[in-house]
Amino acid sequence: MQKSRDGRNIQVDRKQEQRERIMVCIGANPRSIRLIQTAKQLANDLDAEWIAVTVEAPAKVSPSRQDLLQLANHIHLAENLGAETVTLPGHSVSQELLSYARSRNITRMIIGKPTHARWKDRVFGSVLDEVVRGSGDIDVNVVSGDDSASASPSVQHFVEHKPRLWRNWVLSVGSVVVFSAVAALMHPHFTLVDLAMVYLLGIVWTASRLSWGPTLLTTLLSVATFNFLFIPPLYTFTVEDIRYVVTFAVMFVVAIVISRLNWRVREQANRALQREHRTAALYHLSRELAHAEDSKTLCSVAIQHLNDIFSCQSEILIPDTSGDLIPSLAQEAVTTIPAPNAMKIAQWSFVNGQKAGFGTEVFPESETLYLPLIAAGKPVGVVELSSSSSTDVFGAEQVHILESFANQTAMALERAFLAKEAQQAQLQIEKEILRNTLLSSVSHDLRTPLAAITGAGTTLLQNTDLLTAENQSELLQTIVEESAHLNRIIRNVLDMTRLESGGLKMTREWQSIEEIVGAVTNRMAEQFLTHPLGINLPHDLPLIPCDELLIEQVMRNLLENATKHTPAGTEISLSAQAIKENLQVTIADNGPGIPESDHERIFEKFVRGNQANGGVGLGLAICREIISIHGGRIWVDTHFDGGSSFSFTLPLAPMPPIERDQEEYLLDTTSRYMEVDR
Amino acid sequence: MIDDSPLVLLIEDEPQMRRFLRVSLHSQGYHLVEAESGQDGLAQAATRKPDVILLDLGLPDMDGLEVTEKLREWTTTPIIVISAREQERDKVRALDAGADDYLTKPFGVDELLARIRVSLRHVSNQELSQEDPVFRVGKLMVDFGKRQVFLDETEIHLTPIEYRLLAMLIRHADKVVTHTQLLKEIWGPRQANQVHYLRVYMGQLRQKLEADPARPVYFINEPGVGYRFRSDQ
Repeated sequence: MQKSRDGRNIQVDRKQEQRERIMVCIGANPRSIRLIQTAKQLANDLDAEWIAVTVEAPAKVSPSRQDLLQLANHIHLAENLGAETVTLPGHSVSQELLSYARSRNITRMIIGKPTHARWKDRVFGSVLDEVVRGSGDIDVNVVSGDDSASASPSVQHFVEHKPRLWRNWVLSVGSVVVFSAVAALMHPHFTLVDLAMVYLLGIVWTASRLSWGPTLLTTLLSVATFNFLFIPPLYTFTVEDIRYVVTFAVMFVVAIVISRLNWRVREQANRALQREHRTAALYHLSRELAHAEDSKTLCSVAIQHLNDIFSCQSEILIPDTSGDLIPSLAQEAVTTIPAPNAMKIAQWSFVNGQKAGFGTEVFPESETLYLPLIAAGKPVGVVELSSSSSTDVFGAEQVHILESFANQTAMALERAFLAKEAQQAQLQIEKEILRNTLLSSVSHDLRTPLAAITGAGTTLLQNTDLLTAENQSELLQTIVEESAHLNRIIRNVLDMTRLESGGLKMTREWQSIEEIVGAVTNRMAEQFLTHPLGINLPHDLPLIPCDELLIEQVMRNLLENATKHTPAGTEISLSAQAIKENLQVTIADNGPGIPESDHERIFEKFVRGNQANGGVGLGLAICREIISIHGGRIWVDTHFDGGSSFSFTLPLAPMPPIERDQEEYLLDTTSRYMEVDR
Repeated sequence: MIDDSPLVLLIEDEPQMRRFLRVSLHSQGYHLVEAESGQDGLAQAATRKPDVILLDLGLPDMDGLEVTEKLREWTTTPIIVISAREQERDKVRALDAGADDYLTKPFGVDELLARIRVSLRHVSNQELSQEDPVFRVGKLMVDFGKRQVFLDETEIHLTPIEYRLLAMLIRHADKVVTHTQLLKEIWGPRQANQVHYLRVYMGQLRQKLEADPARPVYFINEPGVGYRFRSDQ
């Protein structure tokens, strides 16, 4: 058991013990590139893991946009080369680096040589110096950077994060006034030292509330006022006793220290708060994603969150069935991401599984950032981000969080995709079951007529001499009838199969119901001998757009049902009328009717009528399929005199105008025959 | 032996179909020549000069449409195509390419014989170039010379288009005429796909000339294909 470098007891196995662990400290400065490369080389040589660390230290400087970009690039580079990258918050770069190094059992640190002026080290402290001194048993390699790149980072200056408000200045002056008043009140009873404390209190108060500018003002004013009002010689700015200068100096120092401390703490708190918000957002995102079921909902949830949290316009592109990326939302929002080669960049990102676009090394001129969505190592889409404000940039930490979002979304998308696949597999299974049912049902139903045909045929062949002409005719009749029966069954089964598998091509043309009825009745003339058919069609029925053969089939099925399921002599009536936007056709009979409870059931597959007349039970199911692909409805009612009344509707549509020719009595050939219809 | 009973060329690859057709056609007095493939059929048509050709659309080597087109390049012999139920489009295309009529499997022998009879009748009418100026069937009489139409002695007023429709259908009496053929002939090639025109006018014809337009006696609608004027009751 070995103690780790920061004192915790950890189990270190022998192999790890011998392995080195390298940490390289990078920043926005371009020399970081050389540092990263050096670290990579070293890691390779030593067969060691390496970590690239950057410290976000608002105490030092506030990074400019350029710096953030550069830093992001460096982090990306390190990741590409195989490093683990970490961003540490903290106020002291050296302390953060050291404590992290210790917690990760780093054996070697790589840090760059300083490039800034010496005096800055003296004033602000040298990170290098602190690290080296505090490194303990960690080796520190100091590497020179690449000086060809711009060595001096862009202008650094103290940037106030809060805009200076008028209010603050007034407040600072006001506080001096207030505390002076208090001091004045106390003056007769307390010593000067106590009064100095009062002013100090004022300064501390100001420093804790306001930024350093007003604090400095408060300090100056306090000192001046203190001097003026209470230090002899009174009402002058001079001091008799030199020691008071020390007091003033102390007050200044206190003010500055507290102010800076306060500011740092506030910054830290802000950042922690921001980070907490982002984490909470991530949590909310993953929760909502878990609820979303299909990929479209998922994408809109993710986009919503991304837009809210990062104040940007985002879009998710997912591949369609042919592998091309298409926007998941495809709304007008797309106009905010109008880059001409946007699709190209997105495609690149998708194919290569790397981020591209704004702020990256690939297509950096684009204004949009593209992050690939990768689940289980496989890209499932691309998220496209463009910030609403052009000055806002996706900093390194933001990009990290974006990537976490992207990961969540990717996993959710993968899940949705797998769920859909599972559903389709289930559907396949159901199709198989249906097909098997169909096969068994059909084979049974086909055998009956086949048996009759075989029987009749073989009898005819073998016993020709023994059979009378009448017998022979009867048997032949059987063969013909059963063949027709077989034909009907096979037709139904084939149609059902084609309808189910979507292989049925529907051709819509303007049709006349009158004509379709005519065709059907023409073919079924024989059956209407035993079941008289009455037809009632208005003369001015409009033409309707439909598939002639399919609607003919519907009518034929309905009429055949009427003849087969009712006793001989039952009257059948067929009528049609235009009702609102539909054409309604009704085939009714005055036969035994169908019980109310069966009104829905009979349209299901393989459900036969009460007298099993040898049909497979598909006729009505086929009718319903056909009517529904036309956009209509089919149903059955009980006729007022007890029989059944089947009705179906077909939607009407306005017919294109035709040029009508005029009614004209035709002239004989000797007269000129005018063509009036062109 | 000179035998003037008509010769039927049967282009059909399935042996069972050939057997049935052979038996039934023989029994009706037709002579038969059989071909099992499109190529063979074309060759036989050229050498044997049949009076009627029965062409199955489901041949193994050639598209039935192609056979029709090739035949029509040099002969006007009536062609009756035999198709299966799913081959609606092929049927119509063959008819538009010049086939005279069609049969859908499974069909009865009476239908077959009727078709052959009708085809031969039209051929003989054309050969004799005797077109009777007055056409009569049932209660309907059409005087082509005077362009008058009578139903049961009452004169019926038809518009020019209705008349032309009627005339064309009668000219092809008992043979099917496709939508395309009708539209092209009566409205011109530009309107070849305006089927609704046809439907409206056929509806008008039925109203005027049929006792029960929904159960037509003369104007038979062949769904998906066209119309047929029925004259042999």
